Amino acid sequence: MAKAKRVGVKIDMTPMVDVGFLLLTFFMLTTQFKPQEVAEVILPSSHSVFKLPDSDVMSVTVDKTGNVYLGFDAQPMREAIFGPAGKLKAGMQVELKDLGRLMREARIRNPKLRTVIKGDRESDYAVIQNVMEILQKENITRFNLVTDLER
Amino acid sequence: MAEVQTSESKGKQKHAGKKKKKRIAIRIDMTPMVDVAFLLLTFFMLTTTMNKPQTMEINLPPAETKAEVAESNLLTLRITDDFRIFWNIGTEKPTTIEGANKKEKLVALGKLLKDRNRANPKLITLIKVDGKAKYIDMVDVMDELNINDITRFSLAPMLDEDKKIIGTL
Repeated sequence: MAKAKRVGVKIDMTPMVDVGFLLLTFFMLTTQFKPQEVAEVILPSSHSVFKLPDSDVMSVTVDKTGNVYLGFDAQPMREAIFGPAGKLKAGMQVELKDLGRLMREARIRNPKLRTVIKGDRESDYAVIQNVMEILQKENITRFNLVTDLER
Repeated sequence: MAEVQTSESKGKQKHAGKKKKKRIAIRIDMTPMVDVAFLLLTFFMLTTTMNKPQTMEINLPPAETKAEVAESNLLTLRITDDFRIFWNIGTEKPTTIEGANKKEKLVALGKLLKDRNRANPKLITLIKVDGKAKYIDMVDVMDELNINDITRFSLAPMLDEDKKIIGTL
């Protein structure tokens, strides 16, 4: 039987590499690194299509065990509220009794702050309810619940 | 053949004085660079988060205001910690929403809310969730309201009286 002749296949890879670099630049320019999280939370899912605002965000994070953290996206705000120790952290754990006061201080500094609640899906509703009561007392009657998109 | 060679050599001699640089075909092996590029590409593709988190907007009335609502316009939803949904209008006796699992109950709830709101456009939904229930339960119910375009709702704490009414206390 005649042995098949080995043919040296040469494919021009240039177009593929071009596309590769194009994609690389695209992803490098569009990527935004995930902001650090105060606590590990698994967000509940919903069908809501509102997007989280980009800036001026004050977040109240409630984790699975019911700890409450207050966080801001702007570094100067964190420094002003939590002191130099909190500057580099996304947020600090707070007691419920201090939450209202801290939020009031933050809102005096930046009245445009939007309040969002990031709750873990497994956290007790009682904690969220307490947080919402504090928000209501502080006259923050419009706030957002952060959710994941339901798939 | 021979002639061509001579002419070539002649040409070389002719230009020898001008010292024309010899053209060398440079071939750089691009493979490692391309490898790195693709490595970076895969890295960015995997780490990038295209979707920003969604949010659900809630408007609550300020703490001091007391809104008077006619009994017939108030639909109360009570959600227990084991996710049983009780609903009633005004002071009627609460009825449960039947369903084999959570999803069926939510779908039934959505349908009910839609029907009731169509029957009475002034209807206000009051949601009372048990403190021991999970946050996801509340979000699911709110989501169901959002899906059915019910914007007039409010949240209220579940009191012991409510628990008595639905018979869980």
